[in-house]
Amino acid sequence: MGYAAARGGLAAIEAAENLVRRKRLNADCDWVTPDQIVGRFRLAVDRVMGEAGLWEEELAAIAIRQAEGDLIEAVHLLRSYRSTLPRFAYSEVTDADELRVIRRIVPAFRNPPGPQLLGRTSDYTGRLLELSSEVAGQEEAQLLASLALTHEQHPSQPSSDQQQQQPRRLLETLREMDLMVDRRRLDDPDPFDITRTPARPPASRSARLSSMSRAETGSLVNQWYRNILGPDGYLHEVTLGEVRHGYLPLRIVHPITGNPVAIGNIRVTEVEAIEDLNGIEEERDRFDVGYGICLGHNEKKAIAMANLDIACHRDNGRSQIEQSLLLTTDGLDSSGFLEHLKLPHYVTFRSMMERKNAVRHARKNGQSK
Amino acid sequence: MTTLLNKLIDDNESEQFGILDEYSKREIRRAVLTAVAVPGYQVPFGSREMPVARGWGSGGLQITLAVIGPNDIIKVIDQGDDQGVNAVNLRRLIVQSTKVSETTTAAKSSIVQSRHRIPEDGLDQRHILVLQVPVPEPLRGVERDMRELARMHAEADYSKMWVSLYEDKVRNGVITQTTGYPCLVNDRYVIATTPIPRWDIPKLDHSPFLTLFGAGREKRIYAVPPFTKVEPLTFEDVPFEVEKTEGATCSQCGSNSSFLVEIPGTQTRWVCSDTDWCERNLEGN
Repeated sequence: MGYAAARGGLAAIEAAENLVRRKRLNADCDWVTPDQIVGRFRLAVDRVMGEAGLWEEELAAIAIRQAEGDLIEAVHLLRSYRSTLPRFAYSEVTDADELRVIRRIVPAFRNPPGPQLLGRTSDYTGRLLELSSEVAGQEEAQLLASLALTHEQHPSQPSSDQQQQQPRRLLETLREMDLMVDRRRLDDPDPFDITRTPARPPASRSARLSSMSRAETGSLVNQWYRNILGPDGYLHEVTLGEVRHGYLPLRIVHPITGNPVAIGNIRVTEVEAIEDLNGIEEERDRFDVGYGICLGHNEKKAIAMANLDIACHRDNGRSQIEQSLLLTTDGLDSSGFLEHLKLPHYVTFRSMMERKNAVRHARKNGQSK
Repeated sequence: MTTLLNKLIDDNESEQFGILDEYSKREIRRAVLTAVAVPGYQVPFGSREMPVARGWGSGGLQITLAVIGPNDIIKVIDQGDDQGVNAVNLRRLIVQSTKVSETTTAAKSSIVQSRHRIPEDGLDQRHILVLQVPVPEPLRGVERDMRELARMHAEADYSKMWVSLYEDKVRNGVITQTTGYPCLVNDRYVIATTPIPRWDIPKLDHSPFLTLFGAGREKRIYAVPPFTKVEPLTFEDVPFEVEKTEGATCSQCGSNSSFLVEIPGTQTRWVCSDTDWCERNLEGN
């Protein structure tokens, strides 16, 4: 019966689930372990942790594997897992100056204070597909492993250099040169918690920053580009003052001693974007700065975020860029709602058809009068 | 502090009733209470990510899991159908995580979670109806800026909505709003009635049951408490119209007094969208 076929039923759903499970678990190739995913797909793992707002590489890897590589789906798995967990503690404030860099570049100066440390980047590597044989690749891996051993015995750089590990910010230099608008505030308001309160415009800066920090990477990149080249045109292209990737300590108050204790490190990408102020009402003899930070190594996201942060500040509520950032950049929201179109809609569609007929009737009656 | 921590860890390790942790449930219940206290007002809440995607009933699911107790009996429908794919999935999640009993008959249930329909019969003051809401903002069609929308609701300034209904009537001869028809609740707030058909709107007015609307993606909860006035927005000389097709009757139970959906074909047939009602009608109950 046609009607029954339009209904799913438990059996059909379970059959679909079993098919997914069987094809996923019983794929005709080697098993993949979470540490392989962490070790070989680190940027995917970082991206998933950042968009999920959850720092745990192994869980992210398990999620990526379960989602068969669909990163938004992996983020969904992590976020809904987090919904089952109570919140035990809040971390203490960590000063971002404590960031121990493993990469740091300053495009705004040739020789900035502190290092230009390229670190692990393929920015300047030709994007050539490596088609060498698997055997050659594995041989190279072994060679590199033995070289790495010798390297570690003779470290080329003293790793304890404070200025190398925790360089001064370009921003400080620009402030000393009196080139920056000073928007630092003296009070210390609690940050807006987007996981507990929905952020709506007008929102605090911390609400905007945390929304962007957890946003879907592609969505933020698109927001940025749309505002550069698209119909809205809110943004200036900024000059990057800092692009950093490194470790930040995480501390919580010890439940017995009451003292803060470090419970681990998280890796973050941090960006400061220097903005050339040119508005009539702005301080045109100074620069301003936008800020971006996200979990893991994800420079595209942090750069887009920093540029959108300052753009949103300068927009000052004139356009709806803030609404766009707060409401449209979450990957779960957008893809979930898009995919809901696959659900049955025959009740609403029936109502639409009925109104089409009503309009026709009204038209016919109008003509016959 | 350590006692609390240990207790929390213990609580967390014991099997969780209804997916969400207890703090989240408490937060959702508070939002529900506010919603009941201010009928039609959209209460913001810290919507959690659920094991179903945003847009797939995550708001309704959060309300159900926050208000459900071990003695509740749940009915879940999608488009009026207990066997619709999404209804099956949501019911399975609720039942597996709470071990409550399930039913397909509204009268035998205590909570009905639904997408796009209100059951044809059986709901009274014992019931909570939870509706899954994709778009909680009734004014979005006439205003995009959320700051302005907040002002309009705060000042009960619904003039743009009235103008849009008037223009609709003038251009098309009828009001063409299909489902989710805007209604004024308790003479104060205009709500989006989810996309339930206009057919179901009269059931909301002074209903004996409590209706809770959950929008997970948009992080809003609102309510129509029992025995509250719900009035579809229309003009004195333009009567509110529910869906009607002359001569259509259910090809299974013969009903012409339920919401019917069409089955296209060489000869168009109609069937009740409320499958449980249809089956009972067929059996003569």
